[in-house]
Amino acid sequence: MTPFKLQIITPEKTVFDGETEQIIVRTTVGDVGILNGHEPYCAALGIGQMRIMQDGQFRRAATSGGIIKVSKEKTTILVQTCEWADEIDVERANNAKSTAEERINNAKLSNDDKALLLAEAKLKRALNRIDTSGFN
Amino acid sequence: MASGNMKAIKRRIKSVGSTRQITKAMELVASSKLRKAKSRAEQARPYFNELYKSLCEIASANTDFSTIFTVKREVKHKLFIVVAGDRGMAGGYNSNVLKMAAAAHADDAEAPKIIAIGRKAGEYFAKRGYDVVASYANIAEDIKPNTAQDIADIAIEMFANGEVDEVHVFYTLFVSSMSQQPESMRVLPMDTVQLENYGTMNYDPSPEAVFNRIIPRFTASLIQCAVVESYASEQGARRNAMESATDNADAMTESLSLLYNRARQASITNEIIDIVSGASAQS
Repeated sequence: MTPFKLQIITPEKTVFDGETEQIIVRTTVGDVGILNGHEPYCAALGIGQMRIMQDGQFRRAATSGGIIKVSKEKTTILVQTCEWADEIDVERANNAKSTAEERINNAKLSNDDKALLLAEAKLKRALNRIDTSGFN
Repeated sequence: MASGNMKAIKRRIKSVGSTRQITKAMELVASSKLRKAKSRAEQARPYFNELYKSLCEIASANTDFSTIFTVKREVKHKLFIVVAGDRGMAGGYNSNVLKMAAAAHADDAEAPKIIAIGRKAGEYFAKRGYDVVASYANIAEDIKPNTAQDIADIAIEMFANGEVDEVHVFYTLFVSSMSQQPESMRVLPMDTVQLENYGTMNYDPSPEAVFNRIIPRFTASLIQCAVVESYASEQGARRNAMESATDNADAMTESLSLLYNRARQASITNEIIDIVSGASAQS
């Protein structure tokens, strides 16, 4: 497969700047695969896994919220967070998971819809990270 | 009398010296923090720039589309997000940005609502009776994207449900380590620049949907940038302030030692005169 340019940028740093052969990302409407020569495309990303192929091997990362933009010159992925499967701190993710579950229970008891929503998003992020690290 | 004077000068030299030690230490700490803060500020920029470009592309390619985030309304209530430091001793850093925020609404009928970032900002606005919606302290040094998102979410919600009609951010632009400039920027409704060269894009599911998804990220990124930029400015300002304080202390020590030596010499001369006149009286 012909490689093409990819940049992955988070608010904190540029995570990846190089070439890839294939990208699979989780958009808000489902998984989308990108190969070289894809038409110009832009979509919002949800919380989920991202896979990029290098030398025939997929590298996985857990991402949360952002956009993907495919143009003729390069593909840009802008995400809030991006952690490679082998860099995920599973212990921290598990801690985040239990905190989130606790918060969901509290929010349900006090009928706080906003807190519930936030806690659910936190739980989703934690689960996503735990899932992704399993592929390491 | 001379020895009393000498003692006082000696004491002052000592106290100036210990102050100098503190200012020198603060200067060194600030300059090492400044180096880190500068690289953080630089690393935060690409994300912000790319997001801004994407937003402008969507707005340029779809002239007929509308979202509440770009439409200007009659301005009745404003929200100010003000970024200042957690600590003082940074020259005019805190007061410059706070004064700017205060001056910005001088002509308005109603005082703005405030989100304060940095303890000094929180104290300033709370003391003056502003409506402080949220106040964050000690987050600037190591601000996480999630924290910035929380702040952005508050602002977006207030804007979306009509509580405020404009959102402004006040921060300090890091021009160079010698110069920092307080700045303000309107976040919402946002201004998009009409781009000349934009490709035709396929938006999934729709340009509006993508735009509305990006807006919270963009706002968060803007806040993140403003905070890291301000933090770098704070360290720069503190380093400069402490550097000149150290220089002042050096100059003071020098002139005080001169005074001290003069006093010492005077007292020796006096003693000699005493002895000589005593001796000549006896003979």
